[in-house]
Amino acid sequence: MGKYLVKRILHGLFSVICVVVIVMVLVYSLLDRSVIFAGDPNYSKQQNNARTTYEYSRYEAFGYVDYVNYSEYIMGLYNSGEIDDDTRKNAALIGRTPDKDSEISAEYIQKFTDSYQKQGYTVMRLDASVKTNGQIKDGGQPAVFAYRDRPLITRVVEYFTHMIFIDNVHYVPDETDIGKRGLTFTLYDPVYNPTGTEKKLAPAIIGNGTMHKYLLYFDSHFPFIHQNFATIQLGESYTVNRGIDVFTTMTESQGSYVLRTMTFPTGKVEERADDLHTATYAAGSREINLVYAEHFTDDYTNVRTHKVGMSRLGFSFVIGIISTVLAYILGLPIGLLMARFKDGILDKIGSVYIMFIIAVPSLAYIFLFKQIGGSVFHLPTLFNVDSKDKLMYILPIISLALPSVANLMKWMRRYMIDQMNSDYVKFARSGGLSETEIFTKHIWKNAAIPIVHGIPGSVIFAMTGAIITERVYSVPGAGGLLTVAINKYDNGVIVGVTLFYAILSVISIILGDVFMSMVDPRISFSEKAR
Amino acid sequence: MNDELNKMFNMTDEELFAPVDHNELESEKITAPRYSYWRSVFRVFFRNKLNIVILLLLVFIIVFAFIYPAVTHYDASVTPYLNLLDANSKHLSPSKAMNYFGRNIHWILGTGASGESTFDSIWYGSRISISLAFICAAINMTVGVLIGAVWGFSKRVDMFMTEVYNIIGNVPSILLISVLAMLFSPTFWTMVFALTVVGWLGIAYFIRTQVIIIRDREYNLASRCLGTSTFKIALKNILPFMTSVIVTMLATELPSYISTEVFLAYIGMGMSEMSLGRLIYAAEGAMVTPGWQMEFWSPVAIASVITVVLYVVGQNLGDASDPRTHM
Repeated sequence: MGKYLVKRILHGLFSVICVVVIVMVLVYSLLDRSVIFAGDPNYSKQQNNARTTYEYSRYEAFGYVDYVNYSEYIMGLYNSGEIDDDTRKNAALIGRTPDKDSEISAEYIQKFTDSYQKQGYTVMRLDASVKTNGQIKDGGQPAVFAYRDRPLITRVVEYFTHMIFIDNVHYVPDETDIGKRGLTFTLYDPVYNPTGTEKKLAPAIIGNGTMHKYLLYFDSHFPFIHQNFATIQLGESYTVNRGIDVFTTMTESQGSYVLRTMTFPTGKVEERADDLHTATYAAGSREINLVYAEHFTDDYTNVRTHKVGMSRLGFSFVIGIISTVLAYILGLPIGLLMARFKDGILDKIGSVYIMFIIAVPSLAYIFLFKQIGGSVFHLPTLFNVDSKDKLMYILPIISLALPSVANLMKWMRRYMIDQMNSDYVKFARSGGLSETEIFTKHIWKNAAIPIVHGIPGSVIFAMTGAIITERVYSVPGAGGLLTVAINKYDNGVIVGVTLFYAILSVISIILGDVFMSMVDPRISFSEKAR
Repeated sequence: MNDELNKMFNMTDEELFAPVDHNELESEKITAPRYSYWRSVFRVFFRNKLNIVILLLLVFIIVFAFIYPAVTHYDASVTPYLNLLDANSKHLSPSKAMNYFGRNIHWILGTGASGESTFDSIWYGSRISISLAFICAAINMTVGVLIGAVWGFSKRVDMFMTEVYNIIGNVPSILLISVLAMLFSPTFWTMVFALTVVGWLGIAYFIRTQVIIIRDREYNLASRCLGTSTFKIALKNILPFMTSVIVTMLATELPSYISTEVFLAYIGMGMSEMSLGRLIYAAEGAMVTPGWQMEFWSPVAIASVITVVLYVVGQNLGDASDPRTHM
């Protein structure tokens, strides 16, 4: 069994990688990349050379190309101490045309060109675009930059190697002076003991030089103990939720802020919703922003906030899991009864219901149901993240359960009827068992085996949410994330969400097989038993 | 007793009883009632009166969806915008539209956002959606059944195709469709391409499973022992078995394309033609406005009717094409 499982998991990983490769080819190579400017208000404001450089910087942000600007290169040289301030100023000045470059800038442009062309970049030089009176047009400043299309292999390898980020003390660049780097274990978490006088016991591991300040801590939120040693990064969002990873987008809470009086590390007491445990490093943030300087004693200033609502995954999962349970509770007994009293009144009504759900577009019956639920039963038809009202869950849950109930009824009835003609049923009947006994004790157990196979899948996919249901009832769930990302050309999110779905589907199929072999001892996956 | 007969007919024994030739050839024949498969299918199908009614309804809807826009010279680029400048003609309920434009079949469902006739639009939309469903089903079923048969028969193809199926099955179809729609313009034929480029895979997988179930049955083993070619086994032994499965599948496939199109249009990834899905998408806002609901519910209703009718006819035809019901 163990060997077989390992083989299946490896196989699953292989197909997950293939899926990611296909999706990357689809979104990065096949799509016309200029569509990203269609909804970009800044694009039309840019002119001449500035528009060209803007295009490339955008392409880089969306992950299409690697792009290096000449001035960034010079700044890099300056920062690493290779050139002094005077050289930097002179070198950064680009002439209107190549022959008008000063000696020093010509030298550095040549260096820039050489070093990047060696790495496979294309170096472009845009000459100044000049009006007839000799002035430079708007955005017509000369520019030098290098770019290259990111090759698919590098993209895929980089994606998978960066997927799990292990926090380390060298995360903050070594040049930066942040005091002694290292991890410290404390029994008294400073978040709960801001002044250092009250001794509230709360163990935590605090890092300096790491990305997260708190690497291990306790708080009052499920699952109470949290770690930041390893974080999952599925891909950075660009347009949907700027700069935030897909995984975070799916798991962070939503809605309005939960304000409470809190003491910041500087001792400042203020009413804020910040969650100090989530602090990550933001270089030089206290110098740039005075607000940070007032609140924090170090550059771990980038914090997430406490909000009232659940995360996208949370909403989808709560609605999905309840409707799945509901579907099994309703669908299986009804399917069983339909088979038990075949051609009876229940069977006929059930068949019409199944036909209706399968044939009619899901959009149609969800809207119909929303209309009925809203006008006849006066249930809330729109979801409100901030509300604590439990009634608003009813319609989405039932709408989501409608098709699964029909599906379970259909298959349960089918499997039961298939079993009804088997020899063991005839034998049980000749032995004098009552029909009810035969159905509940013998047929049901055999018919449920293929149903069991689907249980892990339906539970896991409850998380991903349902596109139509969530849209119709405006549930802030995970279901619409992919469509939103596609509409906004957010390539990072598209790849991340697809990977997430692919992993879930591989897991659910493997778990389904394991479940099935647990329920039915005749099914065995180990080599020997075959 | 012979005497009585002789008296009655006034004939001799020789005249009454003539010995019949013993024919070796005739005696080898087995007499059974003539059985034609398709005639039996239709006999069973039409035995249920409900089927006749639903089939007539289906034929009526399809014929009407194709003839009505043609008769009224519906031009998608002109007709919906005829009343665009007439502010009073927009979002009219059926009765108001009748009063405004006069009694005419065009206005029995009222008018839409640009003063167009809802009735005309939904039939034009039905024509597009029905065409899409039939074209996609034809392509997917043909490719799917053929590839599925090969997939089921050959173990080497099975290894490869199962792998392909596992991978492609995990690529979200919305992503694929939207990428294709962006690559080419989102026209009718792009939508057909998008729905068929991987759509056959599911059908092929289903057929493959069916073929594997039947392939190793004893009668096929016997056939193979007797030296029947694989092609003949596929054609004569397995294909007849599959007919009812294929028809039943077609019954779920046909309406599913209409539903998919409605779904895609609703999430904003539909085609540019005014199909039923696009009509529903465009009228979504009208659903919550009192007095405008007709605009939204008419395309929803016609889409539901078409899919239900297609499904019922297909299912019952599938039941009828199962030889076990031909008693």
